[in-house]
Amino acid sequence: MFVPEDLTDLLEYLDSHQSDVHLIANGSDLINRIQRREVSPKVIADLSGLSELNYVRKDGETVKIGALTTIADLAKSPALGLRYEVFREVAAKFGAPSIRNVATVGGNICAASSSEDLLPVLLVLDAKVRLRSKFGERILPLEEFLKGKRLIDLKANEILIETIFQELDEDSACAFEKTGMRNSLIIALVSSAVYLRLDKNTRLVKDVRIAFNRVTGKIPERARLGEKTIRGKILNPQLIEETTSVLGNELRLSSDFRATSEYRHDVDCVLFKRALGRCFTRLGGHELV
Amino acid sequence: MSLSKHLLKFNVNGKDHALVVESHERLLDVLRERLGLKGTKEGCSTGDCGICTVLMDGKLVNSCLIFAVQARNKKITTIEALGTAENLHPLQRAFMKWNACQCGFCIPAMILASKNLLDQNPSPTDEEIRNAISGILCRCTGYVKIIDAVKTAASELRR
Repeated sequence: MFVPEDLTDLLEYLDSHQSDVHLIANGSDLINRIQRREVSPKVIADLSGLSELNYVRKDGETVKIGALTTIADLAKSPALGLRYEVFREVAAKFGAPSIRNVATVGGNICAASSSEDLLPVLLVLDAKVRLRSKFGERILPLEEFLKGKRLIDLKANEILIETIFQELDEDSACAFEKTGMRNSLIIALVSSAVYLRLDKNTRLVKDVRIAFNRVTGKIPERARLGEKTIRGKILNPQLIEETTSVLGNELRLSSDFRATSEYRHDVDCVLFKRALGRCFTRLGGHELV
Repeated sequence: MSLSKHLLKFNVNGKDHALVVESHERLLDVLRERLGLKGTKEGCSTGDCGICTVLMDGKLVNSCLIFAVQARNKKITTIEALGTAENLHPLQRAFMKWNACQCGFCIPAMILASKNLLDQNPSPTDEEIRNAISGILCRCTGYVKIIDAVKTAASELRR
């Protein structure tokens, strides 16, 4: 295990040892994967000591979350006020207290699978990721960074520094829903996040983003056809029914030992309606559906 | 020192330790096998049962999911830090009073999670207690007596 002194030391090491180095934040995901023999890294670089990457701050209109921020710290962060209740919603359904104390935002992003509860939320917030190597930085939309299950656009000499997204304004709200077999310590059968920007007087949908933990593949993705159905229209129960039938065609869900595709599809539609409804009430509206 | 061996300096239950550990050793292994603290149990080893829960710098963690190296410079609290046979911790007394231990395997973790809760919140609701122990599986009790015991301990600690 390589234990870097600081970020510079780590980036230097990664650049001179390009292959076979597996990065871990606090390790809660990797130890499991080693035991299941999914991976057998030659060298592990332990990032847990890099406290400079543990922060949540606002920079003008941008929110920045350091890669080593734990889920527990994210939920408690004073920088994320009432408008960001969505992070408390994710945290409440994320593993258990002992997992939330070690699981990190960066770890959740880089693990890139349908069981990473934070990803649908970051996708609807249109988040970007900042990557750094010893030669400089690049910023990518999260959507492009996630290339497939356990597949990310991270070069061997790079690390994820932070995720960034635009502040929610007073016309915007965001909500998260998850269904599993129990309430704690469970991998989501399905989860959904919705971002809604609404003209409160006319109920005109100025913008909307919808994500599920699976859409066509086995990673969280946006449901763009569903979004297109709502965007620019007046929000009402009929429009929502229309959208769920569009989602029916858009979602290509597979069956596995956790749930059938039919079950996932039906519950996805319910979760979408609940999340959208909660965005609506967060913007001061009454019951929508 | 090579990449596979590390000097681990940490504090366990108030006592400083310095030992050489291998990269692959988990915190759980070091606590049980090197320091002989067998109160911390190994359950599923995958982070699903919470039986190996300890406190690291005052936060609940699964010791099976943390490499020992990562506990460097940290303060670890295990069940051995709470009470003695002659002078039990109020939580331990309450668990006995309510018969909240059946097989007992999850109890070290249950008591540490409860202590962590009561340290931060002296008057928890049932819901808050359930949430605090939600990462720890008990296959015997059905949790009801455990929750009763935590409430009793809470009222004793408040006095």
